[in-house]
Amino acid sequence: MNLSDPERADAIAGEYVLGTLRGLARTRFERLVRTERRLADAVRSWEERLVPLAEGIPPLDPPLRVWTAILARIQSAAATSRAPASPRIGVGWWRGLALASVAVAFALAVALFQTASERTQGTIVIVLAGQDAKPALLVSAERSSRYLSLKPLAPLAVANDRALELWLLPDKGNPRSLGLVSTAAPAGIARITLPATADQALQNIPALAVSLEPKGGSPTGLPTGPVLYSGPVQRLY
Amino acid sequence: MASDPAKQLERNARLMQLLARTALKDQAAFAELYRAASPHLYAVALRILRDAAAAEETLQESFVNVWHHAGSYVASRSQPLTWLTSIVRNRCLDQLRRREVDTVTMDDEDEGVTIAAEGPTPLELLLAGADARAVQGCVDALEAGQKQAIALAFFQGLSHSELARNLRQPLGTVKSWVRRGLERLRGCLDRAGVTR
Repeated sequence: MNLSDPERADAIAGEYVLGTLRGLARTRFERLVRTERRLADAVRSWEERLVPLAEGIPPLDPPLRVWTAILARIQSAAATSRAPASPRIGVGWWRGLALASVAVAFALAVALFQTASERTQGTIVIVLAGQDAKPALLVSAERSSRYLSLKPLAPLAVANDRALELWLLPDKGNPRSLGLVSTAAPAGIARITLPATADQALQNIPALAVSLEPKGGSPTGLPTGPVLYSGPVQRLY
Repeated sequence: MASDPAKQLERNARLMQLLARTALKDQAAFAELYRAASPHLYAVALRILRDAAAAEETLQESFVNVWHHAGSYVASRSQPLTWLTSIVRNRCLDQLRRREVDTVTMDDEDEGVTIAAEGPTPLELLLAGADARAVQGCVDALEAGQKQAIALAFFQGLSHSELARNLRQPLGTVKSWVRRGLERLRGCLDRAGVTR
C-alpha cells in the first residue's frame, strides 16, 4: 500500500469508509490512521461524504434486551471500578436464563398456589430470578384484580440509598415502571396497584424485571441501574 | 431520520449535547442518546450483517464503547450521527472480516451473497439517502454500474470479489466502478459542501 502519494492515500481512505478495503490492507490502514493525522483527516472527510447517505435506511427499533445488556455492562463496569468483587452481568444472561431453573421455579409457584387452595383458573404468576437463575421474587395476581402481590423468595437486601423498581417489559417499546418493591418486610406480601385489571395491564407483556435504582426510583422513567431479576409472565388459564 | 435541514440541525445539536453529557457519565443522557440513535444504527448494522443476533451484539458493543469514549467525540469534530454510525459500520466490517477468515478454508464456490429480499434495495437506499441529504444530483451523476457497486458495498458490506460475483462482472471492472464512482462522488459532494 503506497500512501506517500496523497491522491492514492485519499482513494484508499474512500475505500476504507465505503467498506471495500478489506483483510490485511484494512487492518494496516487502520493502524496508520491512528498515528497519521493526514490519513485521519482523509477518513473523516470521507465519513462526512458517505456516512450520511445511510440515513436513507428505514430505522428499526432494536429489541429491548440490547439496552438491558448495555445498561448491565456499563453499570457493572462502574461497580467494578469501585468494588472489584462486584459480579459482571454478561451479555447472554437475559437470553440464557436457564430454562430448567425457570421450570423449577414455575413448578414451585404452581405448588404454592395449589396449597393455598385458591382458584388457579384465573391466576397470573411471574417468578423473577437473578443472574444465578435462583428464584428471588414471586409476583402474582388474579386476572380480574387491580393489584399484584409480591412475595420475596429470598432476602432482597439493598443499600440505604438504593431502591428496587419493578418494570413491565413490553413486546415493543420501552419498559414501564410498576413502582418500587418494598424491601422492608422480607417475610410479608407486598402489593402494587395496577392501572387496570391484571389481565389487561399484562397484555402483550412477556416479562417483568427488577432493576436497582437510586432511592425513590429511576429519575428518567427508564431503568438506569442493572437488572437484578427478571421472569416471564405465566398465565394459569 | 429527519430530512428537513432545520430538523437535522436541531437533531444534531441535541445529539451533541447528549454526547457531551454522556462523556460526563450522565446515564439519563446516555439513555436518551440510545433512544434517539439506536433505531438508525440497528438498521445500518442489520443491513450489513444480515443477522439479527450479530447486529444486536454489534449495537451493544458500540454503545458500551460510546459510554466509555464519548469524550473522544469532541476531538473528532464530526457530525454526531456520522460519528456514531461510523463506529457501528466499522464494527460491522470487522465482523465481516472475521467471517471471511473463518470461512477461508471452505470451498469458495460461486455462492453469491444473499441480498435481503425484503424492503428497499441498496440502490433505492442510496437514492433515498441522497434525497435526505439533498445531494441527489451527485448520485444521479454516477454511471449505472458505479451506482450499483457503491450501493452494494456501502449498504451490504460487499467486498470487491462479492461485488464481482453479484454483478456478474470481472473483478477489474467492479474495482474500477468503485474507484471511479468514489472519485466522482467526492468531486460532486465537495462542491455541494458536505465536508468542512
